[in-house]
Amino acid sequence: MSNEYTDREVILSIRHVDISFDVGNKKKFVAVKDANFDIYKGETFALVGESGSGKTTLGRAILRINPCSAGEILFEGKRISGKISREEDRNVVRNIQMIFQDPAASLNERATIEYCISEGLYNFHLYENEEDRVAKVDRALQSVGLLPEHKSRYPHEFSGGQRQRVGIARAMIMDPKFIVADEPISALDVSIRAQVLNLMNRLKAEKNLTYLFIAHDLSVVRFIADRIAVIHMGEIVEIADSETLFQYPLHPYTISLLSTVPMPDPLVEKERKHIVYDPSQLDQSGAARSLREIRPGHFVFATDLEFEGYEAKLEKLEREKA
Amino acid sequence: MEAENINLFEFAAFDELESEHIAAPRYSYWKSVWRTFFKNKFTVAVAILLVFILCFALIQPKLSGYSPIVTPNINNASMKFLKPSAEHIFGTDHVGNEVFDAVWAGARNSIIVSFVCTAINMIVGIPIGALWGFSKRMDRWMLEVYNVISNIPFLLLAMILSYVLGAGMRSLIITMTCTEWVFVAYFIRTQVMIIRDREYNMASKCLGTGTWTMIMKNVLPYLISVIMTYASRQIPTLISYEVFLSWMGLGLGTTNASLGQSIAMYTSYMNGYPHLFWIPVSVLAIISISLYIVGQKLADAADPRTHM
Repeated sequence: MSNEYTDREVILSIRHVDISFDVGNKKKFVAVKDANFDIYKGETFALVGESGSGKTTLGRAILRINPCSAGEILFEGKRISGKISREEDRNVVRNIQMIFQDPAASLNERATIEYCISEGLYNFHLYENEEDRVAKVDRALQSVGLLPEHKSRYPHEFSGGQRQRVGIARAMIMDPKFIVADEPISALDVSIRAQVLNLMNRLKAEKNLTYLFIAHDLSVVRFIADRIAVIHMGEIVEIADSETLFQYPLHPYTISLLSTVPMPDPLVEKERKHIVYDPSQLDQSGAARSLREIRPGHFVFATDLEFEGYEAKLEKLEREKA
Repeated sequence: MEAENINLFEFAAFDELESEHIAAPRYSYWKSVWRTFFKNKFTVAVAILLVFILCFALIQPKLSGYSPIVTPNINNASMKFLKPSAEHIFGTDHVGNEVFDAVWAGARNSIIVSFVCTAINMIVGIPIGALWGFSKRMDRWMLEVYNVISNIPFLLLAMILSYVLGAGMRSLIITMTCTEWVFVAYFIRTQVMIIRDREYNMASKCLGTGTWTMIMKNVLPYLISVIMTYASRQIPTLISYEVFLSWMGLGLGTTNASLGQSIAMYTSYMNGYPHLFWIPVSVLAIISISLYIVGQKLADAADPRTHM
């Protein structure tokens, strides 16, 4: 069986990453435990989990905001976690950008939109002269559907959706290769979520980008993501293709998470039952769990015993669907 | 009839970008600050009074040429202890000098010292405090510096410095700045720490913005209002420091006029000639209070939450 996953170019690898925070008294809170996955060039990789599961922490570790306490992060084969040279650090900033969750909080209220968008240009001097910079800002504004006349405005004069598009323009003007989108639409009004998602998809195609899309809303993730990783209490419990995950969820937590997705069909919605995640149904023997590949590209976090159970279940599901 | 009415309407072309247009007038920070400040009539009245007093205090002593050691009427008993009148607006003192001249000459020196000291403290304290708030390594040793300096009794320091440097304006300015800047810096450090980790600063970091640009563009603009509040408290405080030190004999010295010295000198005549004491005290109070009110109102106006 040929494996399409191994043939593709890896842009970012997370290698056994632990992230912990000191909580005083020499105690540590481990936010992310042994995260280990690859993101391929050109895909949208979604990281899904409930609040406090460590998804944002992991996203921020890629941008070097949170330090890793173990493991390493590779970008295009080069280590970008831990101590790296100033030049490499600037390289990370140039190539990896972030779209923030709350557009109201992530823009400097005392700066004009022109400054907000030019900030990256100023830092790396990515313009030939003043005219060139203004032209670049105008193009960036137009590419996200805003007007050049907005340059002299302040962030508080914009609506939530417009502000988020300013945030996107500011990241895109750096011509990054990789974008960490930290719940980019959860702070937005429902009516403009699709607009921002479509914009992100369009820019991805135009600029050949790779996204790490952090979200808790599975219906959105299904729409935008190629592959999905489910994270729970700092542990990645399942990774699979978007459709595979929705068709053949294996880990009880994934199943529970999928059962919370509302269906836009009243008849189906009436039948929908919320399955509560019950960790007691897992193997309680205390055997070590690890992320194992059950089908090509489909990983599940399990002990030996659980893995057998998932295998049996998956075979049964496959027979049913076939 | 109906058909005619329908003809009055026509289809408009749909323009998606039209909805992005912002119709509100352009916002300008400093214009809004001035507009908010001048909206309150009381504030404007106090500001006019303050400007008048400041100009008067700066110009009048130049015209009168008052000096506490020039006493032409010291042997003329008929010129001493006169009550305020049309001829002698604030009366005359124990050596026959005009109290009016003495008060304004004193006010001039007090105001100059407090403004210069505040300016020095702010110019030194704000950048150091801003870096202090950002750098964790600097925080470790700056806190020790702060602890040491804040535990030196101010009066002791003032006495030692006045013995070492002698009396005079320069030594007084050194006394009131050599440790005061640490308190400004500590205040700014705390304020910076409050907004340092906000999300927009993280966004700037992700765009590769350096610490200094971050301080200038992301942090200090947010602190304009609190810095103004601090300065508006600092100026009157330093005036009273100056008065207190001069009253103690540690300030500007006997050759320079000063409100503190006038008050100290006239205190002994309080029973017989109360106007000698109360006039300089009232002038001091008016200057301090109006400075404080104008500073506070300016700080309020500088807070964009009041611009709506």
